[in-house]
Amino acid sequence: MLKKTSISEISDLAAQLMGKGALIAPVREEAGFNFREISDAKQVDLNFYNTIISPKSAFFPQTEDFVRYQTGKDILEATPVELNIKPAFLFGVRPCDVKSFEIMDIHFTGTGAVDPYWQKRREAAAIFGYAFDLNTPADGADFYSTLGIGAADPEGSDVFMIKKGDDLLLKAITPKGEKLLAEMSVLSDATPDDLNYFDDTVAAGRAFKTRFTCVEAKPIAKKFEDLFGNTEFWEKVSNACLSCGACTFVCPTCYCFDICDETLFGKGTRRRVWDACMFTDFTLEASGHNPRTKVYQRLRQKVCHKYSYHIRKYGPISCVGCGRCTRACPVNIDIFSIVDEAMKA
Amino acid sequence: MAISFKQIEDKLKTEAKGLLETGKVSLVLAYGKGYDEKHPMPYAAKNAADAANIVFNEYCAANMARYLVRYPRGTKIAIAVKAADSRAVIQLIQEDKVKREDLVLLGIPVYGIKNFKTGEIIDSKTTGGLYNPVLYDILLGEEVHGQPVNSPYDVLVQYEAMDNEARWVFWKKEFDRCIRCYACRKACPMCYCDPCFIDQNKPKWGEKSPDSQGNLMYHLTRFHHLAGRCIDCGECSRACPVDIPLYLFHKKVAKECEEMFGQAAGMSIEDKPVLVNFRVDDSDKILA
Repeated sequence: MLKKTSISEISDLAAQLMGKGALIAPVREEAGFNFREISDAKQVDLNFYNTIISPKSAFFPQTEDFVRYQTGKDILEATPVELNIKPAFLFGVRPCDVKSFEIMDIHFTGTGAVDPYWQKRREAAAIFGYAFDLNTPADGADFYSTLGIGAADPEGSDVFMIKKGDDLLLKAITPKGEKLLAEMSVLSDATPDDLNYFDDTVAAGRAFKTRFTCVEAKPIAKKFEDLFGNTEFWEKVSNACLSCGACTFVCPTCYCFDICDETLFGKGTRRRVWDACMFTDFTLEASGHNPRTKVYQRLRQKVCHKYSYHIRKYGPISCVGCGRCTRACPVNIDIFSIVDEAMKA
Repeated sequence: MAISFKQIEDKLKTEAKGLLETGKVSLVLAYGKGYDEKHPMPYAAKNAADAANIVFNEYCAANMARYLVRYPRGTKIAIAVKAADSRAVIQLIQEDKVKREDLVLLGIPVYGIKNFKTGEIIDSKTTGGLYNPVLYDILLGEEVHGQPVNSPYDVLVQYEAMDNEARWVFWKKEFDRCIRCYACRKACPMCYCDPCFIDQNKPKWGEKSPDSQGNLMYHLTRFHHLAGRCIDCGECSRACPVDIPLYLFHKKVAKECEEMFGQAAGMSIEDKPVLVNFRVDDSDKILA
């Protein structure tokens, strides 16, 4: 099913979706766009390139409260925090970010242990993917096409959206998407010409190139295994690294977290909080021993996790080439340049 | 007079090569290629051949002084310093983190340096209206004269127009956006504590989750740890992925310190940091 709406009337579509559940879409903020739950349909603005922070927080928020308790009271008096799940529409997700959900599914639901928080939010959400504008060159930091992801790939979305002039074309990709689009009375039917445009754009998106040429996962994984003990290489590529967590916090496929008890005036919450392998205390053991005291060891962990261990254990590269880490890095470290340099080493 | 970035780059390469060849230093901290021209990276040249990889252009905003404490004490290091960077080196010498005799300062007189994320020229927001390094051994180019001399505190006008209540609201709102990636403290040349107080869990000074209480604890403590020490390079604000204007608070504190103690941070290696020094004629304003 292919439907359309005028982009100038996008807030009508937004309002209709908000009547059915939470609408999470890119919102213009001081530093750029970020996914937020929409409170006013007029906030929806499709005039963005990509968000600063990835949409993973829609399913895996930076802070997730598990249990509330009072110090000194019996453990049985602690109250689990109810997971209030409502239908959600994740609107305007770029194809590389849609791909990231599939990779994150491996960790949160795919290995036997199921994370109910991720799973329930994921099940309750419909994803409205949104093609990159093929008339604008890709941002210099992006490299999704290098990893085999097209600029207009509809796979993984429930509904996929492509901009055609002043119109927005919406195509149902899954049965969930079919049902949703059928219920959206603000949408009109698309013409055969629109359908051709949609298919042509998807094909053109596959030919759309970001920097670097295509790569294969397995040789990279092997190369990094061979390079593990090459301290000279790792020291060289990590010379500039500040070991902050900007790259991992904006990343759509970084999923490490810490579980903390945070207590104030006797009232406590046990919560899950994003953590980052770039932090010194990430690997600090109770004994006081820290296996990764050096910056190069931490950067090596981050790169090898995504481009070596992950491939060996689960198959895909744990990176979608969205370019966020490169854009967020205060010293311009670029993960794919490290991969490129490794392959030449 | 226009700045010739190419000329500075050539001089940097020549000096770096010479210093490494003669063994005067074992390391030159400067800038190297990034993934494109607009994104150069901090670079450590370790031998004469490495010197050829050094670059310098208007996007070389990074303050290299932050890397000094990463190397063992006594390492002979040459470091490229712009005005603010030289102040960071001076402050580090005052705090005995590095020794003057271990360093060769390659001074870069320059204006028009840009924030590589936004393309915005940073001169007026940071570097305190200075264009020439405060301290150097070798100057790579002509001293800059005739550029607009603005007070480092000019950008505070709007901030100071707010009353205390409004300032509190302003910072609460800004800190609520913080994602606790710690890019600010890691980019800061004066944030060298290991471990940082916020990473300690015995005692635990602040919560790890990015809610406003933990964020307030982290930022307000960091602000005060930098009182009289911030050298106004603006790296914290440029490093922030969500653009929190941290420099405003640092500048405000720097201004108060300067007014009270008549001394700006990192201006002379003879100075002592204002908050670790006691002088009989020190201002009592803080007690009022």
